[in-house]
Amino acid sequence: MVDLATKILLDDKTRFLTTVSGVAFAVMLVIVQVGIFLGMLESASITIDRMDADLWVCAKNTPNIDFANTFPELYVHRVRSIPGVLQADNLIVWFVTVALPNGAKEAAIVYGLEDFPRWRFPWDVVSGDPADLRRGRYVFVDDSAERRFGTFEEGEYREFLGLRLKIIGRTRQARSFTTNPIAFLDYRVAQALAPLDLRRRTTYIIVKLEPGADVEAIRAEIRRRLPYNDVRTKQEWADRSRGYWVENTGLGLSMFVTVFLGCLVGVVVVAQTSYTATIEHFKEFATVKAIGGCNADIYRIIARQATISALVGFSIGAAMAHAVRPLLAGLDLKLIIHPTLVGNVFVGAVALCLGASLISFRKIAGLDPAVVFRS
Amino acid sequence: MAVLEAFRLTKSFFDGKEEVPVLKEISLHLERGEVVGLEGPSGSGKTTLLFILGCLLSPTSGRVVIEGREADPNRLPELRRTSIGLVFQHFHLFSALTALENVEYAMNIKGMGGAAARREAERILEVVEMSDRRGARPRDLSGGQKQRVAIARALVGHAAIILADEPTASIDARLAGQILELFGRLARDENRAVLIVSHDPKVRGVADRIIRMQDGQLLD
Repeated sequence: MVDLATKILLDDKTRFLTTVSGVAFAVMLVIVQVGIFLGMLESASITIDRMDADLWVCAKNTPNIDFANTFPELYVHRVRSIPGVLQADNLIVWFVTVALPNGAKEAAIVYGLEDFPRWRFPWDVVSGDPADLRRGRYVFVDDSAERRFGTFEEGEYREFLGLRLKIIGRTRQARSFTTNPIAFLDYRVAQALAPLDLRRRTTYIIVKLEPGADVEAIRAEIRRRLPYNDVRTKQEWADRSRGYWVENTGLGLSMFVTVFLGCLVGVVVVAQTSYTATIEHFKEFATVKAIGGCNADIYRIIARQATISALVGFSIGAAMAHAVRPLLAGLDLKLIIHPTLVGNVFVGAVALCLGASLISFRKIAGLDPAVVFRS
Repeated sequence: MAVLEAFRLTKSFFDGKEEVPVLKEISLHLERGEVVGLEGPSGSGKTTLLFILGCLLSPTSGRVVIEGREADPNRLPELRRTSIGLVFQHFHLFSALTALENVEYAMNIKGMGGAAARREAERILEVVEMSDRRGARPRDLSGGQKQRVAIARALVGHAAIILADEPTASIDARLAGQILELFGRLARDENRAVLIVSHDPKVRGVADRIIRMQDGQLLD
């Protein structure tokens, strides 16, 4: 079979490149934007995802992991005594300011635990032994802090809320949604940072259940014993923490608008070039009808051209999105490209290109094959 | 037996609210193996008649029967596909396709595909003596060569009726003679009915009969 659609499409390479560029740009924009968004969302719940805990006990209505409220630390005993609970510990998550050697101050989030190894936390240790944090005024700092804190080495000191702590280890990937770096220190040291707020108080109780334990039954029992707290599963708490940023900050809407604009650019470019190409090949399409073809034959040509443009544009756009990954990583932006996202963008690109070609279909529907006799 | 019959065809167009008759009670027939020339001054209704005979337009009244089938408005595309080959003054070849592909694509439209279509397209290009230029694009062909390819395209699918609209108007006189001879040969050798609308007096040299039109009516 003669592939008239492809031959016409490739006959005008400039137009083809314009169409493909429009699609590629839109695809890249959508993948990068959504990928960055997913990367940020991952940061919003990464500590929950990585902590080896099944249940989280929080102060009532705590919106997300970073915005913690306090409650008495002795509540932990009420949780530990429940049958089926393997281990339960207090965890402090607190915003602090860090005094830098140049005199500036920067924000960070500290995670205070009594026994880090027991919770396999932090999860990506570059250097140092988290078990050493129990010994006193020590701290692990994440590599991502270098962008804000400047370079630092193990053995150096930094002042956290006026308390000098010695850096004894480094981690990776520990960064909050707001890009504040995370530091890890002993639970008692964390309380000492903010004695007015944290003396004999904690912000979370993390709970590990025995294998095969009834999660809902234990959760119900914790709720009975701690009626003024919320108890969430790991997944619920991660979803809530991510959902806060999507729903309460306008970030979700902002991403939706950007994705919409990306799609709009792609559709407009494809619709415009497809329509112009249809007008320019009007006589050829009329000839198709005159030699026995019908509207469906011409629709197939236009639809095939739109699909080819979508496929080529998508491939280039997706490759470009992958190519900018290292660039964004250098800017501390994590780009997450899930196969699901790629699949959805692919389907969307094809659907939108086909949709954009509908405007040409309308023109073809009224095409009179007799025009080929007139000129 | 007539391969195309037209009975009392009329066609009117509206200029605002005023009805303008273009064809008035025209009846004619075409036989296999004959070349018929259609002459007439501009505005006499030749092109409108060609549109109707080529199943591109429905008449206001009257009937067209092609190979025993009534040309109902719903069947026009099917009749164009199965029985009619059109040749245009300005060729209207697909610029992105080679000569061979132009012919093969017409076969695809008429329902033939694969290697058989390719072989048949090559055979038809041989008939119009264009085999050696099969790989050339229209932009690389002369006017006469383009018209030969256009004629080859009209021949595919064993179209019984070839309708040509001023087929020699865009080519020089020497090539025009060759093209008209080709039409004559196709009618005789391939047993097709050929109707040529033309102002070219050379058509008389190959036509078995001439039909003349004036003011929407046949003179003879």
